[in-house]
Formats: sequence, structure tokens, C-alpha cells
Amino acid sequence: MSEYLLEMQGIVKAFSGVKALDGIDLVVRAGECVGLCGENGAGKSTLMKVLSAVYPHGTWEGRILWDGEPLCARDIRETEAAGIVIIHQELMLVPHLSVAENIFLGNEITGPGGLLNYAAMYQRAAELMAELKMPEVNVALPVSQYGGGHQQLIEIAKALNKKARLLILDEPTSSLTKAETAILLDIILALKKKGVACVMISHKLDEIAAVCDTISVIRDGTHVATRPMGELSVDQIITLMVGREIKNLYPREEHAIGEVIFEARNITCHDIDNPARKKVDNISFQLRRGEILGVAGLVGAGRTELAMAIFGCYPGRYEATVLLDGRVLQIDSPQAAVQAGVCLVPEDRKRHGIVPLLGVGYNITLSVLQRFSKYGVIDPSAEMQTIEQMIQRMHIKTATPLLAIQGLSGGNQQKAVLAKMLLPQPRVLILDEPTRGVDVGAKYEIYKLMMALVKDGMSIIMISSELPEVLGVSDRVLVIGEGQLRGDFVNAGLTQETVMAAAIGKAEALAA
Amino acid sequence: MQSIARSIQQIFSRYKILALLLAIVAIWSFFTWQSEGSFLTARNFANLLRQMAITGMLASGMVFVIIAGEIDLSVGSLLGLLGGVAAVLDASFHLPVALNFAIVLGLGLLLGLFNGYWVAYLRVPSFIVGLAGMLIFRGILLAVTKGSTISVESENFVAFGQSYLPVTAGYVLGVAIFVLQGVLMLRGRANRQRYQLAVPPLWQEAVKLVVIGLIIAGFVEALNSYEGIPLPVLLMLAILGGFSFLAHHTVFGRRIYAVGSNLEATRLSGVNTRLVKMALFGVMGLMCALAGLTNTARMAAGSPSSGNMGELDAIASCFIGGTSMRGGSGTVLGALIGALIMASLDNGMSMLSVESYWQMIVKGSILLLAVWVDVMSGSSER
Repeated sequence: MSEYLLEMQGIVKAFSGVKALDGIDLVVRAGECVGLCGENGAGKSTLMKVLSAVYPHGTWEGRILWDGEPLCARDIRETEAAGIVIIHQELMLVPHLSVAENIFLGNEITGPGGLLNYAAMYQRAAELMAELKMPEVNVALPVSQYGGGHQQLIEIAKALNKKARLLILDEPTSSLTKAETAILLDIILALKKKGVACVMISHKLDEIAAVCDTISVIRDGTHVATRPMGELSVDQIITLMVGREIKNLYPREEHAIGEVIFEARNITCHDIDNPARKKVDNISFQLRRGEILGVAGLVGAGRTELAMAIFGCYPGRYEATVLLDGRVLQIDSPQAAVQAGVCLVPEDRKRHGIVPLLGVGYNITLSVLQRFSKYGVIDPSAEMQTIEQMIQRMHIKTATPLLAIQGLSGGNQQKAVLAKMLLPQPRVLILDEPTRGVDVGAKYEIYKLMMALVKDGMSIIMISSELPEVLGVSDRVLVIGEGQLRGDFVNAGLTQETVMAAAIGKAEALAA
Repeated sequence: MQSIARSIQQIFSRYKILALLLAIVAIWSFFTWQSEGSFLTARNFANLLRQMAITGMLASGMVFVIIAGEIDLSVGSLLGLLGGVAAVLDASFHLPVALNFAIVLGLGLLLGLFNGYWVAYLRVPSFIVGLAGMLIFRGILLAVTKGSTISVESENFVAFGQSYLPVTAGYVLGVAIFVLQGVLMLRGRANRQRYQLAVPPLWQEAVKLVVIGLIIAGFVEALNSYEGIPLPVLLMLAILGGFSFLAHHTVFGRRIYAVGSNLEATRLSGVNTRLVKMALFGVMGLMCALAGLTNTARMAAGSPSSGNMGELDAIASCFIGGTSMRGGSGTVLGALIGALIMASLDNGMSMLSVESYWQMIVKGSILLLAVWVDVMSGSSER
């Protein structure tokens, strides 16, 4: 028998030539809880997908030893049979099936002829509920009757029922309230006592500190450090997590910053699935003419929701007061926002940015089509003139302006979406992850464009998960953590460490 | 077998319209051979086109609804209702035909907008709204006609469905359309050259123009050798022209395609997508009114069963004509060629006295086959 339950050695995983994981090691003992930390995009989730065979054996390099034996699982069923169960950030329950049916999904207790043995399933499910200290759950009721916290625990019950020896929890508390989080952490501690090992991915260092024995930090796909929990201070963990060089990729240019023109007051967004929880909790801020306001925070902190509320397209219940030039704007739809002078370039380009079957040019003019039309009939040469100007100004590389936009590279698609939101000539432009999935050259062009826009007096709110980018282009930085405003910094001598500390919610950072 | 399937697939995805025309040639040849020539007579051709006109009008509206990612199952019943109302207004109230038509068209627009309001603003899935409308409109029709057929008395009304364009006017129109096609082609070439787009060789376009010319000449000559172009067919051609223009040269048309290709992105671009959807159903209602009037005029009566299953013919025409099931692509011309295929099958099989159950089986199979080819050619994948 090996000393370790799990040993991952030299894991390398590349996506079309780009290494997401570059030789990572991770070891877990039976009954141990390992906290896995790292910045957005460091490779945490990828590593766990390798372990649980979401990426099957053979699509990555390196070695996994399970109980001292090599593990070569080809799909998730094999890893589950071995006792490795992953609980994803997004819950994977079927809302209309009962609690018991969910727990036994794919694993049903059957009698003769394949009939479901409900009595046995209900009994076992009730035992599991008692074990997880929530005997009040009626296992015959549909899962949708229970809130996010209970659902997370039902996922765990499902995992335990599969005789899990290693639980992987990917951001398990991201959709839970404080009280629900406390219950979950208690249960993890109880499971540890029973010998169940656990890998917990979390941005919340206090939660990691509460349950983990060991902490492993990864950065840009490489292993940085593994230490016993007690040996590291929060400061040291943050330094290990960021520590990335800010290269001179950012064409920062001097520009005049004027008076306050835009103000967001008391923005609150409620979680659609768990309305008791606030995704954005009473955030207010101001924006000046010609200013680039960076919005930093960890994934799931509520930044995108904040932008959606301002733009009038948050899908759940929300409250927001938005002022431009001191006047309250009535924004109840994106249409109203665009008319009022607020434009948004959304985060998810494929779902919210491009209209795939339309040509590049027609995507660009979608926001201002009326401008080229008389009695609803489009003047094609006026439209084409604008399209050509935009294609030239944004350096969009396309064979013809009429080529369907889905055939373009990510960077060129992003430039086209940007062009579409520039044509209405907004006063305030919100960019949500403007350089995600964009190559370095196009990134540089986007930064250049932002500089040109603020010089012309436009104000920009840029949401970004890349700290170097936030620090590289912003005049001021807002930090959001767990739906709350955690910091408002002028970007002069500001460090990644300070921003990350605020995002994680370290008390000292608030005083700084 | 596989290589045949693949080459069919390539032909269809590249030259969809061409493939559809070939299908029509095949179907017509088959029926002409089987009926020993009586299928391909001027009289039957006129008859075939008149049969097709009603489905064609519905399909012209339906194609936009489907491009926008919705469906409307109520059009058959709505056609019946509006045709029935027209008959009642004529028979019981003796309204002048112009006023009667204006009322019915207005009513069609309103009922279409009503459907659209439920879909766009009250967010009931269009499938359900259509299903409900199918029952409700048919029910109202039964109430309005008290379950019996109502004869139309006004001669002008009947003339709308049964008269023909004078022979000379037919020729003039044919020449005019041909000249228009030529001008459009030259303008299109000039435009493409201006924007440095690939311009097909002149001979290729010339051949295309000659083929179009031959089709127009054959079409006008065939109809003129009977009694001229039937008025409903003329109306349908006008709709084809108008809606093709709407699709490619207006703000509304562009938005329909955008909504169907990616609703969320279109909405986030500041477009009032709900209004687009509601208006779309309004247009559909207007087409139902036209189809209903044509139908009542053709039969010289409003019947409680008219338009039954009309929605299925219209929807099938759109899909046979290459409209994508997932929205975002499709053409009015394609939908009308689809309608022509459906009408040819109906007409040919009736002429051969094929049992009506066989007719249904054949039409269903053709629909299945056409959509399968469409799926195989990958045009509906993203």
C-alpha cells in the first residue's frame, strides 16, 4: 500500500498547442482535505477534469496512481467506480425528480424485471440525509422544492451513495448563503473523520483554512507550492497565487479625466435559483469623463451581473438606479440603454455577441440600422460605406464584408462586436472581458482603441479577470468580492497583491 | 451508396434552388409519363398554379415566422375564419367588395398581431399559441357560419379568384420582369465590384439570365395559351417580389434574420426583438386574410372546413424549400418552390386517381426526405 490515496505526477494537458497544465503534481492521503488555490485560469478545473476522466486517459501526459495502482480511466463512470466523485460548480441535479431519484440516478435499486424498488431507495436516501444532518428533507419531494444549500448537500449525498473515497468540490460554496456554507463545511469535516479524502477548489481562503489540512497553489498551469495549512499566511498564499510579471503589453497613454458623468447607485441582483442570495449586494460607484474604470474580482463575484443590471438585461430580480449627467435613466431594456448612451460588449461572445449567420458588416450595423434607412428601406451604399469605415478603423480581417461572421477568428469577431457597440456613439461603454479568447495582437489593438476612445471623452468600464490587464489599462480599479464592493483604488502604485487580497476579502486590505 | 449520398448532399448545399428545380422536373416528367401527357397541358398548368397560390401565400408568411425561430400552427384555421367572415359579410350584409376586403385584411392583421402578442410579450411558446389558435379560430368559424357553407353572391368577389390577366398584359408583364431581372443583375455586379467581392464571370450570369428568360417565357406562354395568368397567381408573384425585397433590403427583414440566428445577441444590440416578432405574426395574419379571400373567391363560397390542414402544407413547403429548422436562414423563393412541389404532388396524384391515403403517405415521405437531405447537408448545424 502506498502512503497516498492519490498521486498525480507530471500532468501535462494542452489545448491546440497551448499548455493549460504544464507538469503538475498533486498528492492526497486518505482522510485528508487538500485546498487547491490559484488565479482565474490557473488550471484548477482542468486538473480536476483530468483526474475525473472528463478528459480521458491518453488525451494528457503524466501518470495518476490511485491506491498505488496506475489509473487509466477512459470515462467518468470508471473513475466513479474507483471512488473518485466530482461535484461541479454548477449543480447537476434534475429539478423535477425527487431527492431519492436524484441520489440514485444512473445507480437505481431495482427489483425483478427492472422495476424500481422505491422503498429501498427512500430508506437509503433518508439514511444519507440523516448522516448529512438534514433529516428534515423529505426524500420523496422534488429537488426543486429545496434551496441551493440543500441541493449542494444532496449532490454530496449522491456522491456518498457512490461510495466516494475522494470528493472533488469545485467552488462548492459559490451559490450558497453564509449559513448554508457553514453547514457544508461541517459536513466536510465529518466526512474527513470517516476517512473520505477531499480536494476543494475555492477562491475563499477562509473556507480553505477552516477545513483543509494542506494547501496546493498552482499558477499558469504549473505547481507552485504545497504546504501544510498552518505554515502559510494569507499574504503568502496571495503572493504565491499572483506573482505574474506585468509585461509591457499595455499601451498606456496620458488622457484627461474630467468630471463625474455617470453614477450607479445601490445595485442589487438576486440569484435566479436562490433568491435569498444576492449576486450583487448594494454596489454604488461613480465614473468620470474619459476614465477607464477596471472592475476586478474572482469569477462568480458578481461583476457580469452588475454590468447586466446597468444595461437593463439582468434576467432575475434586481434593483438599480443609474444616472448620466445627473439625470436618472429609465433603463428597462438594452434598447433603452443604447438609446440613453450606455453600451455593453458582453462576456459570452458566442451567445450574446455575434449573430452567427449574418455577415460581418451586417453584424456591425445591427445596432444602428435605422440610420441608413428611409421608410424602413435600407440604403445599401450608405450602409456599406459605414461598414467599410468600421472594418478599416478596427482592423478587422475578413475576406469580404458580407462573409458570415461565424467564419472569423475570435479576435476579429470581438472587434466586430466592439464596432457594433461603438456605432451608437455611447457616452459610457461597458466591456465585459473584452480580450477573452483573443490573440495577443488583437488584444493590443483593443487596448489601443480604448485609449483612443477615452481621449475622445468616452468613459469605459472594463470588467476583467486578468489582473495584469486591469492594472495595465485602468485609471481606477473597483474590486468586487462575493457581490460586494471590496475596494475602490486609484491605479497608482497599485499591486496585484493588493487587488487580490481585496477580492478574496482579507480584512487588512479594506483598510488600505 | 455513401458516395452517391455525399454528392447529392453537396449539390443540395451548394445549389439548393437548382436541386429543387430538378426535383420539380423529375416530378413533372413522372406525372406526364404516367398520365400520357395530360399532366403537362396549359389547362392543367393553370389549374396547378391556382391550387398552389393559396398554400404559396401562407408559405410566404410562414417562411419569415420560421426564419425567426417560431412556428404558427393556426394559419389553416385563420384562413378558414377570414374566408368565412368575408363570405358572411358578402352574403348577409351585402358589403361592397372593396370594403369587405379592407375589413377582412384588417381583421387578419389584428388577429395575427394578437397571436404575436401572446408569443412575444406574454412569452407563451408559439407552438402552443398556434395550437390554441387552431382550435379557437376554427371554433369561431363554425359559430359564424353556423356550420354550413355560405355562398358568395357578389360577382366581383368571385372574379377575384377566378379571373385572368389579359393575354397582352401577360406578355408585357413577362418582358418587364425579364428586363427588371437584367437590370438587377447588372446593378448587383456593379455593387459587388465596388466592394471588391468576387464577381462571377459574365457568361455565367448571362446563361443564368437566359435560363430565367426561358422560364418566364415558358410560364407566360403556357398560361396565355389557356386563358392568361390567373389573378391569384399574379398576386402570389407580387408577394414573392415584395417579400424578397422585404427580406433583403429593409430594416425589418434584416432583423428577422438576426432574431432567428441569435435572439439574445440581437436584443443586446438594442433591437426591440419583441416588436419584431409581433410584427412578424401580423404579416402572417395578413397573408392568412389574402389566402382566405382567394380561397372563398375560388370556391365562390365560405365553408366551415376550408383551410383544414393548411398550416401543414405551408410549413412543409417552407422546409422542403430549404428553410432551416433552427432559424436564421431561408428564402421566400425556396418556400414557394416547396409549395409548387407540394401542389404538383397533389395535382398529379389526383389526376392519376391515386387513393387519397396514398397521397398523404407520399407527401409525408417527401417532407421527411427533404428535411433529411437538409440535415445531411449540414446547413442547419452551427
